[in-house]
Amino acid sequence: MEEKKAAILQEIPRLRRYARALLRDRDSADDLVQDCLERALMRLDNWRTGESPRRWLFTIMHHLFIDQMRKVKRRGEAAVLPLDAGEAMATPAIQAESAASREIVDALQQISPDRRAALVMVAIEGFSYAEAATMLGVPAGTLMSRIARGREELRALLDDQARRRTIRIVEK
Amino acid sequence: MNARSFTDRDIHLALDGELPEDERAAYQAWLEANPDMKARSLRFAADNAALRGLFTGVLDEPVPARLTAVVKGDAPKRKGTPPWWRMAAAAALLVAGGLGGYLVGASGFGFGPDSDDRMAELAIAAHQTFAADKNRPVEVDGSDPAYLTGWLSKRTGLKLVAPDLSVNGFQLLGGRLVPAEGSTAALMLYADAQGNRISVYVTTGGSELSKGTYTLAGGGPEAVYWQEKGYGCAVVGTLPPAELRLVAKDAYKQLLAGAGLSQS
Repeated sequence: MEEKKAAILQEIPRLRRYARALLRDRDSADDLVQDCLERALMRLDNWRTGESPRRWLFTIMHHLFIDQMRKVKRRGEAAVLPLDAGEAMATPAIQAESAASREIVDALQQISPDRRAALVMVAIEGFSYAEAATMLGVPAGTLMSRIARGREELRALLDDQARRRTIRIVEK
Repeated sequence: MNARSFTDRDIHLALDGELPEDERAAYQAWLEANPDMKARSLRFAADNAALRGLFTGVLDEPVPARLTAVVKGDAPKRKGTPPWWRMAAAAALLVAGGLGGYLVGASGFGFGPDSDDRMAELAIAAHQTFAADKNRPVEVDGSDPAYLTGWLSKRTGLKLVAPDLSVNGFQLLGGRLVPAEGSTAALMLYADAQGNRISVYVTTGGSELSKGTYTLAGGGPEAVYWQEKGYGCAVVGTLPPAELRLVAKDAYKQLLAGAGLSQS
């Protein structure tokens, strides 16, 4: 039991990074991690000893993330924002966030949740396609196309932002 | 030699380390022969590096106490706690899942009106400034509590007592005046035998009842606060959450009793 808990504690930084890439806002991301940990602790028996807790925890968190995204869609964005949304949004997702990094983070948030999750798992978290496909519960082919489309989308969004920036400069 | 022809799908495979070892040389040759594909590959690689670089800092951030508390099992439980306390715990940690198995929502940090947040922030700032000062944390020491609270009461315009927190292992060090939002606050400092310091920050507050806990986004000490009947108080410290809540509850009761206000 204690060994399991210690192993879970070690995964928290990774879970926080994944959540932050998915959700941008720091408090919402940590809320997601907290939900994930609470659920994991209730189901400690589901985790086979000897296996790394990482994939198990990421799977739990992914389900929670997708649930949450569905609720957002159903109830409208405001439903899942904290009550002090103004303040939360003002908190930079990343310390000393530069304009360039903000553009990437913004673009990432605009990609559909499924593609975002696939891209973040592979490109940021460094999971293999096989691992990511298992955690996301999709066939490898689906995962592949989500990553390919996610990257295309990200590139297009970034190009778009760059173009708008250029226009702003020209207009001055 | 070339067992197969490549497509833009292979760019992703190569980038993600999924291209079989024995195909890599042929893939490289294909890239060199197709400048547009090579440009695409470089662009994706650059975006990838930017993405990764953007979030590596998260790994070095201190893990918020509320997350480790969940795993260690010392997050406060809802069951069997007094009502005022349940509210604070629910607002702060959403520990509902710990027992009930279901979470109300992923984000319900409802702190109520902004004035409590502001008060909690000022209380944390005062705690960070003065509790950290080893030699001169207070203006007036706690050897004569009656004198201390008389002075603090006069300057804050509140009827104040210095709560006796010795059951919790904390002794009064003394107090000082600190700024509050638009007024003056009393800061009373306590220390335990291990040298842990907590502060009790009292000021005029809103008349609307509100209770909760607050931690700055960057982490650091936690404030357990309440506002009621024109009276605002925050207990700040870096203690295990359950312990801080116990102390805060004790201080809260004594302050209310001392001010002649009944507990609602």
